[in-house]
Formats: sequence, structure tokens, C-alpha cells
Amino acid sequence: MHGRPRKPQKPVDDASIAKAAKLRVLQAQFFQNHHDKIYAKEALEISAKLLETNPEAYTAWNYRKLAVEHNLRSETDPDAIKAVLDEELRVVESALRRNFKCYGAWHHRKWVLNKGYSSVDHEFRLLDQFQKADSRNFHAWSYRRFVAALKNMSEEEELKYTTDMIETNFSNYSAWHNRSVLLSHLLKQKIEGFTPREKVLTEEYELVHQALFTDPDDQSGWFYHFWLLDQTVTPGAPVLVSSWPAHGSDLFVSFKGNLDGGVSSSFTSFCSDKGAFPLIIYFNQSVGGINSSTVTVKHLFDKNEDLIWVPLATNNSGNAQAWVTFLRFPDVKDDSLKAYPVEVKVGHSQCAFTVSLRSIDSKHGEGGSDMEMIVWKDDSFHASEPLLLSPPVVSLDQATTNKEPEQIDSRWHEETLANEIALFQELLSEINCKIGKLTLARLLRAHDKMIYKMPFADEKTHSKEVLDLFSDLMKLDPSHSRYYKDEHSLVLMEQVVSNRESLLTYCWKYGEAHPSYLCNPICLRLSKLSLSRIGSFENLLWVQMLDLSHNELWSIEGLEAMQLLSCLNLSNNKLRSFTALEPLKLLKSLKVLNISYNEIGAHSIDTSRYLFSSPLSHTVGDDWNIDAYVTDGVKMNYWEAAVIFKGLYLTQLDVVGNAIVDEKFNLFLTHILPSLVWLDGDRVY
Amino acid sequence: MDPISSIPTVTQREQWTVEEMVSEIYQLFSSVPHHAQTIMLELRRDQHIEFLTRGLRQLGPSFRVLDANRPWLCYWILHSIALLGESIFSDLENNSIDFLNRCQDPDGGYGGGPGQLPHLATTYAAVNALMTLGGQKALSSINRDKMRTFLLRMKDPSGGFRMHDGGEMDVRACYTAISVASVLNILDPELVENVGNYILSCQTYEGGIAGEPGSEAHGGYTFCGLATMILINESQRLDLRSLIDWVAFRQGVECGFQGRANKLVDGCYSFWQGAVFALIQRLNSIIVEQLRALDVGGSLSWRSICTGAASNLSEGECGSDVKSYQTDERFHAKQKEFSDIGLNFIKIPAELGPLFHSVALQQYILLCSQVQDGGFRDKPGKHRDYYHTCYCLSGLAVCQYSWCKDADSPPLPKAVLGPHSNLLEPIHPLFNVVLHRYYEAHNFFMGS
Repeated sequence: MHGRPRKPQKPVDDASIAKAAKLRVLQAQFFQNHHDKIYAKEALEISAKLLETNPEAYTAWNYRKLAVEHNLRSETDPDAIKAVLDEELRVVESALRRNFKCYGAWHHRKWVLNKGYSSVDHEFRLLDQFQKADSRNFHAWSYRRFVAALKNMSEEEELKYTTDMIETNFSNYSAWHNRSVLLSHLLKQKIEGFTPREKVLTEEYELVHQALFTDPDDQSGWFYHFWLLDQTVTPGAPVLVSSWPAHGSDLFVSFKGNLDGGVSSSFTSFCSDKGAFPLIIYFNQSVGGINSSTVTVKHLFDKNEDLIWVPLATNNSGNAQAWVTFLRFPDVKDDSLKAYPVEVKVGHSQCAFTVSLRSIDSKHGEGGSDMEMIVWKDDSFHASEPLLLSPPVVSLDQATTNKEPEQIDSRWHEETLANEIALFQELLSEINCKIGKLTLARLLRAHDKMIYKMPFADEKTHSKEVLDLFSDLMKLDPSHSRYYKDEHSLVLMEQVVSNRESLLTYCWKYGEAHPSYLCNPICLRLSKLSLSRIGSFENLLWVQMLDLSHNELWSIEGLEAMQLLSCLNLSNNKLRSFTALEPLKLLKSLKVLNISYNEIGAHSIDTSRYLFSSPLSHTVGDDWNIDAYVTDGVKMNYWEAAVIFKGLYLTQLDVVGNAIVDEKFNLFLTHILPSLVWLDGDRVY
Repeated sequence: MDPISSIPTVTQREQWTVEEMVSEIYQLFSSVPHHAQTIMLELRRDQHIEFLTRGLRQLGPSFRVLDANRPWLCYWILHSIALLGESIFSDLENNSIDFLNRCQDPDGGYGGGPGQLPHLATTYAAVNALMTLGGQKALSSINRDKMRTFLLRMKDPSGGFRMHDGGEMDVRACYTAISVASVLNILDPELVENVGNYILSCQTYEGGIAGEPGSEAHGGYTFCGLATMILINESQRLDLRSLIDWVAFRQGVECGFQGRANKLVDGCYSFWQGAVFALIQRLNSIIVEQLRALDVGGSLSWRSICTGAASNLSEGECGSDVKSYQTDERFHAKQKEFSDIGLNFIKIPAELGPLFHSVALQQYILLCSQVQDGGFRDKPGKHRDYYHTCYCLSGLAVCQYSWCKDADSPPLPKAVLGPHSNLLEPIHPLFNVVLHRYYEAHNFFMGS
């Protein structure tokens, strides 16, 4: 090789040496012919022999193309043309039998077929042989698509071929994948026989069950099942799922001072000294393009066109699940408690509530000093009086959505999911299988989400079963335990906050006296639940005081939807960096924050960063210059912290118990947070 | 249906056989004392060098099937030797340069052997082999002007490249063409035009990249596609989130990577899939941007956002009217921009840790792919060969440096499995050439 004489050191078998020698002779002859442009029969035979020995000799494939072009130039007899081309197909076929992964041979075959003289049916027979020999060969699959297109074969016929292949071998993922691609096209184009979509998908479920039940340990069927589930539950048009103020509520807005307790539920009161209150709308999926032309707000004191909607997500893409705008109210002393109606319309969804205004005399005594420290101790909280309380949990009787167009659809969806659930429950009663458990958990969650969307559904959710499945999976499959843990947390949180009775047991009244910014002194205390992630924000838009301490949180993604938050306790969690606190940037009402005893600064590389969807941007922002926070000539390395804190007006912050904390860091905090009164329990001067 | 009528398929039985073989090796490993484990994990440097040098001097007649791939053999062997930090005798070096020069076509590009048609894959192999050899003689033997003519001739009007005159068009062809143009500093808007569109059309809904539109996602093509997109500065057009997802799930219980869904583990994917992670580590800012587009609900497809962006790009940046701005200053500005991408990329600090289990992969390579007499193999039970030796060693180097923020800083001892003598030279993951050889070539071609 490499043009040097060969002197075998080890004895090599004679046959092999002879073959190599023969190849060298063939090669020399071939190159001579190629060089001299000899395309006679004998010359072609030499190139054929070369290719049958070494199909990778692409130069010889090109030579044969030249030869065909040359020999057909003067040929008009169709039979003679066909004979020349058939010879090419024969050479390719025997080359492929030597090496069916050879790019050049497959390509030569396409070139011949494109001439239009050859029988396509023969190609299908040949393909059947090759695909039987290696059912995953991507050259063959690709050639098959080429031939099908050449013959103008319908995608239905090709779909049938994948059925045959799958029935021969359930493990053939190439066939399943090709099936999913074909079926997507057919469904999208609503080809005859492929409507309604529901009927087609039901049949697909039946097919994949055969695979899963025949060999539950093989992956292919499970992958296809995931794809199918995705086709089943993909949400249609976005739907408004909740809002603040909630649909049907009567909001009391007070300005300057505290609310006169007793008249209304604290859950629907809000204090403002800015002459405006927030209106938050929350959708079942991320949406973009929310503005005064897509949302109509009827409100006495604002013109709809003047409202500016802002997405509540820490990204610039313009898509978010939660959107906020601010509604104004006039600075009048109106003691008549007149309720002004507000109506909001988005697409088919709508919600309505009333707003009453009252100004508060400054003499009003209930409030403590704004300078007072919030103490997150158990004895600061009292069980709240249940009668007064009615947290605005999203419930179906306050349905805000016009659901008629999807009625039939949802029934099919629900039946399909119920059917799948029953089947996998049965399967899991016989065998112990990780992917089966994960699939069942996903099915149950999809089902719960679906009945939750349906009007007047009165079914129990499967939270308990899902939680057990994820707990099992954490033990069975420890290398993915973090994923299961996150899913477990989200379901647990859903279970806790999705109904009034349960939610009330987590609501506590804070203190005897409380600062004025906290006009709703109800604290939602979700501590010690070993949560690693949080969710279900649609039910929590009203919360102003939240205790998430003593959990295992590593992310607070989505928290930005809770615009009313003024006091937040995140102490004793597993937050690894300031990047993880990014959602706080959007909580403009936040005054009190406790992030003590986390892991900020303890890890040099933040591996969690790629996982959550709202990490910091590298463009810190033009409006901001780190040099402004240079103290004592030492350039501080706290830009991540600075990005979070620079827009907040915190009066109280607890950071002790994080690796990053030292004197220099605390000095930096007092610089960047001039409003700070309390730092780690000490008065800041 | 009766759920206990469980009959394993052929694929499943094969998978079990491999799992069993691998697990026997790992069980043996865990049962021996610590010092014996260290010996088992040792990279058999002397044996590998011996196996590789032998191949460079002399190959047996069974290699006749690789006769159209001879520059590949040069690259696989020379690169493996360079990864081991060794150099070859000057007679072998001169012979290699002379041989590759005889594969060079008078009209540009390299063929699979002397007299064979120029072919993109062997051109890539020859250029990488010459870069790996380094030095004035090797680098100046490449005819860059003719190379550009050849690459342009291989370009299909649709944007993709053909492997050779009248040859097949696929993602491999795009990568080898763009990679060669990039290192030789001849990449320009004309070569780049519509390549991005072609690669995009090959990304499947699962996230990986297929060889051609409509096919299944595949490890080798995923590397080729992603590297190409980075080299033409269009990686932000791919759906990187789902790409990461797809690649991450290709590392299996055997600790190595498979090439496609439900296929068997294979040592060569240690590089093809592993290097995708090495590239991803330096794309943090783009990934962050893409994740921003997804929210808690995450239900809106990234694809729809990104195709919107893509259509703007193709109109504005690489519009059809390339000829008209060829004389333009913009053409030269773009050309200048392309020439620095490879170098700038490796200077980006790795903001992310590796998104795969790099120690586990080293375990598979050293315990299952390594052949004690030298060389590496696909999996236990298979024979060693130069292809697998090259890509197992390249994958091993990727693992060892996967925790390094800077590409050329030495890794921490805990990142290297086995004795510290296992440490290989770092590579440039876009080209799979030893890093300092890449720097030398880059300087050389920037100057010329």
C-alpha cells in the first residue's frame, strides 16, 4: 500500500495474496482503458470485474457512466439501449452483494434508473432481498424512497410496506421511523382513508401494542408510542386557564396604606400607591403576539388601545404562558364602594371581575412599620380563619372558555388515553419495566390534564398513582433520578394546590401586624415537601407571600408569573447560582427575599444552566456597567448577582450560608441594593 | 392481548448478547484489586504505536477492499499516532507526503489512490493527514487554487456537494468540502451558498441529522451536519435543543454510544457522538438564545420560530445573487469572517460541562474497545482496525478534555480515567486534527 513494495513479514494465506495480485492487474488495465477512453466490451468487463471485487472503486463507476453515455450516443434501438442499461444494473447488483453499504454502487443504480428504461418493479424485488438481509440499512431505505418517487407510488403503499417490515420484525426502528414520517404527511394532507385523524391514530395504537406486548424489552415500539402520544395530546389553540384578578372575583384596591380588614377576603385585595393594579392572564401553553388587538379589555379608566402587554418570561422571544398589563384607577375618594366591572376577551376565552376602590386614611393602625423585619419562623404564622378565606383556585365551574368546537375531539382523546392507561396497568402488573412505568406516568398526566380541560368533568385525578410511579422509577433507574424527581415535584405541587381544601391547609396568616406593602398577609407555606421544581402557577397568581424553604429546589423557573409576590423564602434549597434566580428579575413587587443556605458559589461549573429555559443572557445589557460597582479599586466578580439584583428594590435580604458569601460580597450587596434595610438579620446603615 | 407472551426479537437478543459481554468485562474489572484495575485501564501505548506503524509501512492483502480509500488509511494512522503524542520516522513522513501528492489530481482534490478520480472524502482525509504531518513540505504540497476549483465543481446548484463528479450528494460531502475549505482558508460565500438550507433539510423531528433529506437521524451525519453549520456560522438555525436531546440518549447502559436509535453500541461513535458534545460545549450562547424561545409550557415548536429566522437569513445573507457581490467588498468581508471561524471557535471558553458521561465512555473505550495487542475495535468480539483505532482514540481525547474550559489547558487528573499516562493530545473537534497541528496549519494558510 501507499505505493511501496509489499513484503509480507507474516505468512499470509496464498488465496488472499492471489486476490490482491489479481486486483492490481485489473486496476492497471482499468486505468489504461480509462485514460485511453476505451469503452469496448472487453474494457467494460475489466471494470466490471474490478467493481465486483472492490465496489468502493468509485472511479470505475464514473468510467462506466462515461462508457454508457458513449455507447448510447448513436444507439436508437430501445432494446439495445435497455440491454446496455441492464448490464449496468447487473454489475451494481453483484457489487452490492459484496458490499451493500457502498455509496457509489447505490448511486450508480439511481443514475441508471433515472434514464427511464428499466423496470421499477424489479427494483422493489431487489430491495426486498436487501432489506431482509439488513433491515436497518439506510442506503436501502433511501433508495426505496427514490424508487417510490420515481414510480409515483402513493405514500399509502409505502406505509403498507412499513407495516410488513414491522410485522416481520418489531424491532426495526428504521421502519417505525419511516412510518412516522409518512403518516405525518398523510394526516397533514388529509388523504382519503386517513381521516378522521382519530381513527387512524387508534389503529396505530393497536399496531404498536402488538410490538410492545410481544417484546416489552425492545426500544423501537416505545419510541413510536411516544411519538403517537405526542400526536394525541398536542394542544390545539391556546386557551386562557386563569387570570388575576380571577374570573368572577371582586377586587378591592386600596391606595396609600392598608386595607380595612374584614370586609373582603384577603385573597382579592391589593394595595397600590402607583395608581394602577396588574392584570395577569395565564394560558395553557406559551403564546406570542398578545397585544391590544388580540386582547380586549373593557375598563372604565383605560382605553383598550393604550394597554401594553408584557410577556412574563425571562426571554426576548415574545412567547410566554403568562402576560401582564397594568390597569389604572383614578385617585378619588369614593366611599360608596362602587364596583367597576372589567371584562377581558382573548380569542374564545373571556373573564370578568369587578374592582372597588377605597383610599385608606394614614391613621389606619393595623399595619406595622415598613421597616420591620419579616421573620420566617413557625410562630410568626397562625392558622387562618377558614370562613373568611376563599383562595381563587381555578375551578371548572368558573369556566371561562367556550369549549364547544372541541367536544367530540376531547371525548376521543379521553377514551384513547383511558384505554392506553388500562392496557399499561395490565402490562405492568405482569412485568417490571422502566419504560413502561414512565409511559404509564406520562399517560396518566396527559389524561389528568385532559379531563381538567373538559367542562363538568368530575373525575378524580391520578396524582397518587403518578407519584408512586415516579418514586419507583427513582429507585429503579438512579441515573435518571433527577428527571423523575422533577416530575414528581411538579405532580406533588399540582396535587397540593389544585383544590381549595388542600390549598387551605397550606395557607397561614402572617403575624399580628405586617408592613403596608403586604396588604394580603396570607402566606402560602410549601416548605419541607422535598420539591426540586415548582409549577401549577395558574392557581397561585394571587400569592403575595410564599415560603418554599427546606425543599430541594435547583430552579424556580416559572415563578415570574407570580407578579404579586412581595415576600419570598427560598432558604435551605439547592440553588446553585444566581443564574437560577433569573425569574426574580421580573418580580417588581418583591421586597423581602431569603436565599440563605443554598449552594450558590459552591460549584465552579453550573451544569444545571443548560437545563432550564430562562438562564442569563451573555449580553448583560447596554444600560448597565459593572464598573459602577467597583469598590475600593477591586473589580468584583459578582456580575451574575448584579444582573439579578440591580432592578429590585429589596428591603430585606438573607444570603448567609452560601459559599459565595463573605465580607466583600455583603459590601457589594449594600452597594447594589441601596433600598436594603435588613441584611442577614442585621440593620443596614 | 396476553402481556406475558414475551418473545424477544433478533435485535433484542443481539442487544442482550452485547450487554452480557460488556457486563462480564465490567464485573471482572470491579472484582479485581485496585492496582489491577489501574493496569486494566492503562492505554497500551507501545502496542498501539507498534500496530499503527506497521500499518503505515506495510498492509496485508486483505486491505484490498480499501484500495479506493488509501488517503483515509494515512489519516487514520497518522492521526492516531499524533494523538498518542508520537512522531514518525522522517522516511515514513516523506513517503506519506509523496504518496498523498500522487493522489492529488492535476485539477484539484485528492483521489482514493494515484490515478483515481478526486473525491471529497479522500480529499478531506488527505488534507487532514497532511495537517497532522505538519511542516512546510506537507502543507505546501496542497494546491489551494486548484482545490477551490475542485470544490466549486463539486457544488450542486441546490446548495449541497457531490462526493465526486457525478457522485452522490449528502451531509458527508458538505462537511468534508467545508472543512477542507475552512482549514485551507479558501471558504467564501460562493462555496457556502445554500449549504445551510441543505443541512437543515436533513435534521429530523427527533433532533439528530440524517445523511440526506427523509432519512433517519445518524451519529456520523449529526457530527458532520453540526460541524458544517458551525463552520459557515449558521449553527443557530438548527434546533439545538432537540439535537442535544437526541445525542444524549445515544449513550447506553454499555457506557459507549450507539449510532442510531435501537442499534448496537460501537466504539467509533465515541468520536462521532462524543465530539458533538465537544461542539455543543462551545455553543452555549446560541443554546441559551434558543431555550429562551421556549417556555415553561414549551409547546410552541422551536422549529417554527427558527424557520422564520432562517428564511430571513437566506434572503439577506446568502441570497441567490452571489455573483453580483463577488466583486463587492462584502464578499471579501465575508471571506475574512469565514477564515477565522475555526480558530475563534476553539478560543471560546467551554461554558458548559460535558452533557454526556465522559468517564463512562472512557471506561467503554479502554475496557471494551481496546485490544491488548494494540488497536481498537467496534465492540468485544470484533476485530481491531485502523478506522476504529482512529475514532476510539479521538473519542478518548474528547472525553479527557471535556471538563476543560480552555481547549489547550491540561485536564484535571480526575477527568482522565486510568493512569495519567493515558492522557492524549487535545484535538480541534471541528476538524478532528491534533490542536497544535491545526494552529500550525492555520498560521501557514493565513499567511499564504
